[in-house]
Amino acid sequence: MPDAPAPPPTPTYHGDPGLQPERTILSWGRTMLSITVVGAVFLRWLPHYGGWMVGLAVAAAVVALSIYVTQRVRYRRQAGGIREEALQADVVAIIGTTAAVAVLGVLGILAVLTTTP
Amino acid sequence: MNNDESSRGWLAERLLPGGTEPDPRFTLANERTFLAWIRTSLAFLAGGIALEAFALDLFNEDFRRGLAAFIIGVGLLIALGAGVRWLRVEHRMRQRKPLPLPLIVPLLGLGSALAAATILVVLALE
Repeated sequence: MPDAPAPPPTPTYHGDPGLQPERTILSWGRTMLSITVVGAVFLRWLPHYGGWMVGLAVAAAVVALSIYVTQRVRYRRQAGGIREEALQADVVAIIGTTAAVAVLGVLGILAVLTTTP
Repeated sequence: MNNDESSRGWLAERLLPGGTEPDPRFTLANERTFLAWIRTSLAFLAGGIALEAFALDLFNEDFRRGLAAFIIGVGLLIALGAGVRWLRVEHRMRQRKPLPLPLIVPLLGLGSALAAATILVVLALE
């Protein structure tokens, strides 16, 4: 997947000298790239394990893309949260990311143990 | 401090009930720590996949498969542990209680040490 770098954060003033929203967005960006890389490494299994590795790579790309398209909203939310001194934890993003990585892991183990190259 | 519980989502109400919103900086720091653990987990997944894909002639097939599954399994446990740890830390912060000990740290240490030691021993014996 041709991953563009994370979008430049919307210049929303939050007054936090620790630049917490910026650092958190970059952290999500690095995670997005890591997921893309893992998806791409699955493609290396293509000759041994067959076509469903493309499915795994595409699934990883979809997860990465969903992080990419929500980055701007996330930054605004976090900058607003710092400004207002009240930020609700992003449970959906965390649980979703955990579940996505766990599913990639389970499918990876299944591929290794059940397929005969 | 925003305590308007009705504005929180269903999942947040369910997984993080009660308490009050912590300092937003702490919430963001917890989120970044979770992401760092997730990247660690992804590195294990990539490592396991790579061992299985690139070390084809290096090891005996059963050993290679078992080790790849083990390394991916460590990554899987770290990912699940990262999610659980995030929840526990967020929960404790809402309750204004001390943070829990990170159980995924010994998991990371033991998992990597075991995988590395196994590969070293097998390479040395061959």
